[in-house]
Amino acid sequence: VRVEIDGQPVDVEPGTTILEAAQSAGRYVPTLCFDERMAPFGACRVCMVGAEGAAAPLAACTTPCREDMRVDTTDETSRRIAAATVELVLSELPEPPGEHTELAAVARHFGIDEPRWQGERRRPAHDRRHPYLALQHELCISCGRCVRACDEVQGAFALTATGRGFHSGITAGLDSGFVDSTCVSCGACADTCPTDAITEHTLLDMASAYTGNGGTT
Amino acid sequence: VTSRFDATTTTTCGYCGVGCRLEAHRADGRIASISPAMDGPANKGHTCVKGRFAHQFSRSRDRLTAPLVRESGGFRLASWDEAIGRIADAFGRIKAEHGPDAIAGLASSRATNEDCYVMQRMMRAAIGTHNIDNCSRVCHSPTSWALRKSFGMSGATGSFDDIEAAQVALLIGVNPTQGHPVVGARIKQAAIKGLKLVTADPRRIELADYGEVHLGMRPGTNAALLNGLAHVVIRDGLVDERFVAERTEGYDALAELVAAYTPEAVEEITTVPAADLVAAAHLYASAERACILWGLGVTEHRYGSECVRLICNLALLTGNVGRPGSALLPLRGQNNVQGSSDHGALPDTFTDYRHVSDESVASAFEERWGVTMKREAGMKIPEMFDAAVGGSLKAMYIFGEDVAQTDPNTEHVVHALESLDFLVCQDIFENETTKYADVILPASSFLEKTGTFTNAERRVQLVEAANDPPGSAKTDFEILTTVSRALGHEMGYETPSDVMDEIAELTPRYAGIRHERLGRGGLQWPVAPDGTDTPILYEREFELPGGRGQFAPLPYKPPGDAADEEFPLILVTGRRLEHYNAGTMTRRTGNLTLMSADWLEVHPDDAAALGLTEGETVTLRSRRGQVKLPVQITGRIEPGHVFTAFHFPEVRTNLLIGPSADVNTSCPEYKVVAVAIEPAGDRISEPLAAEPAVSA
Repeated sequence: VRVEIDGQPVDVEPGTTILEAAQSAGRYVPTLCFDERMAPFGACRVCMVGAEGAAAPLAACTTPCREDMRVDTTDETSRRIAAATVELVLSELPEPPGEHTELAAVARHFGIDEPRWQGERRRPAHDRRHPYLALQHELCISCGRCVRACDEVQGAFALTATGRGFHSGITAGLDSGFVDSTCVSCGACADTCPTDAITEHTLLDMASAYTGNGGTT
Repeated sequence: VTSRFDATTTTTCGYCGVGCRLEAHRADGRIASISPAMDGPANKGHTCVKGRFAHQFSRSRDRLTAPLVRESGGFRLASWDEAIGRIADAFGRIKAEHGPDAIAGLASSRATNEDCYVMQRMMRAAIGTHNIDNCSRVCHSPTSWALRKSFGMSGATGSFDDIEAAQVALLIGVNPTQGHPVVGARIKQAAIKGLKLVTADPRRIELADYGEVHLGMRPGTNAALLNGLAHVVIRDGLVDERFVAERTEGYDALAELVAAYTPEAVEEITTVPAADLVAAAHLYASAERACILWGLGVTEHRYGSECVRLICNLALLTGNVGRPGSALLPLRGQNNVQGSSDHGALPDTFTDYRHVSDESVASAFEERWGVTMKREAGMKIPEMFDAAVGGSLKAMYIFGEDVAQTDPNTEHVVHALESLDFLVCQDIFENETTKYADVILPASSFLEKTGTFTNAERRVQLVEAANDPPGSAKTDFEILTTVSRALGHEMGYETPSDVMDEIAELTPRYAGIRHERLGRGGLQWPVAPDGTDTPILYEREFELPGGRGQFAPLPYKPPGDAADEEFPLILVTGRRLEHYNAGTMTRRTGNLTLMSADWLEVHPDDAAALGLTEGETVTLRSRRGQVKLPVQITGRIEPGHVFTAFHFPEVRTNLLIGPSADVNTSCPEYKVVAVAIEPAGDRISEPLAAEPAVSA
């Protein structure tokens, strides 16, 4: 299949997604819920791109390339939608995400600093029962990456998405924490988390040593 | 990129033999975090609770940070010069009085290829003995022996990628989701996507829940099971006739032998229902692409090496070798079980398993090292201990191995260590074995050294130092080359890379291996001079005379121990997810919180018969010794059998294991020990209450 990404022709195998084609052409498309280790999910709406003839922007991670498709990764409508989505996500967090996180990198890409919306923010809720893994529920953006890493990379099936809307999040086991769940402590969830909602105690301790406030527990 | 870390080093995991590539992140002079390399060929962006998290041991307060020498019943700190001077004096004196063969050395399957090569060179060239062995003796030496006899080379025939390419995988005596977690995860994911699994183990392992058939054979009856599978393959016309005719030898003798192994006869011996055996044979032999994976449940038996040959028979019968998706994959227990043996840390072979009596090989090494060597093999590990007790072995140099904790027949091992005139231990912690040392040298962990490990796929991968050794501890490369110099043999290497250059020069199958060529993905030996590697062995012919694979007609023989009236149960030992072997590393990490003590798995029927309750502490007694531990009642084990691990010195499971060993390789029979359970009268304390669930 031949497609054009930002004017550059690319030949890809049938079934290749727009995101994969763009990456092979060396074009950056921001993502939040995507991780190459897992099947595409299409939840975060941050990888939106324009395509000639398409009625609306497309999610690059889940849309397969079609013959002669012309994709514009810099499409203004797509950018506006994606940026607004990221801004909404940020507006729920009690504090800006750590600079090293993927969420912070995506926010920088869209030039979002302080969100314009000053509504209700999530309250810190931490679970530090596991010897390595730390849960910071308030930072969860429901991208589903941890749940899918647990299912599709490890196969422990220990994590579940819970709640709705503002109250959505993830839980280990039946809210019993990692240790009493089927968790095998592989850490794939922490590895994939784009916000540090799941991270390591040692990394939190390191952050608090620098800033003096990383440990909000 | 916005990084929290001062530096990130890509290296290779030092725990099991899967060979995960890791990114070690350093901050403030210590390892702050470890994450999986996305492009690791074995791990593909994943790792496990050990590789990712269990790294705090490397900065544990009780790391050895300076040499220790024995003085008036205890140890005192010493300078490197004094410690090495003592070694040179003692070894010189013993060599002069008793000859070089009164000294023996153990290299380590935890150490790099370069360290192991330097160690065997030190023993052979600086001391002048072939008394060098390594801990693969007690795990996969039977695999190595058998693969060489059946196919020609000592290594997996393919790669982990063959698991996803296969239609069927047969798992025998291996529990990957516990022992090799990343490969376990790969198998589980493949099974979810359609790979059909056949599992064979005295325990109903987790992957059995994702499989088609589980064969719960009695411990020690693997040979009957494997011959039974071969019987069904032949009886039901599932043989790959063309493959057998063109590429193998010895079919008729095998067919004659296995004729008696009817499913019904095999059920008598193994307790595996005849119909399950038939179903398993059909699944394996009907697949176009099928892999076999095995572990220490096959090898650590009296006839373990023969059983590996019987596994090879199945692959030869069905043509399931030498093609993508049709691999034989022994899962290696330690990070460098493959490499330590590949690189000559064995009493009978130089690099690439070339015998010390091979004149052209031996003279090439002699010329390179400027020494002359005997053409007779040295002692294997159990022979060393016997010789120490007998008085002919006077000194040992033990590098990275806690034999007093991990080797069988512990009492005999301790007696051997006590009998030595002089013992050197080179390790990162004091352990059960260092208690008997005269000099203890502080060494480096895998996070502090440079070199290569060879994983279970024959993949030679780079190890790079992510941190410095603590205190005045040194890298093993530096220690061994310095000791060798003090013994009068200058090796002339500046870096571990120089060592690999010498190995490549002297070893045709490793001719193209250079550190600078290994890159991020490593190379699978054999490696041609131009750097071309070999993911799949035997695509056209086997590495044996005539190029043909050799069938082995070997009958079932009973194991070295059997249940009787006094010892009515059979103990199987193995590994658990959270810990690693002697536990020296993992017990110094948060993994101890995840699993803080060992337990004995007992079937509900046996528990009822003995009146045992969950959590009750019992005395487990064998013909050799006894230990105490709490009981867990579980249907995952077959009635008549009990299981525990060997990670805790508090339990010292190996006190129970006798001297029975593999007939060809002396690998101990850890997997079949007759035992009796008696109530110990005390209860284990209640688990500690969890901390508050959520704080805000």
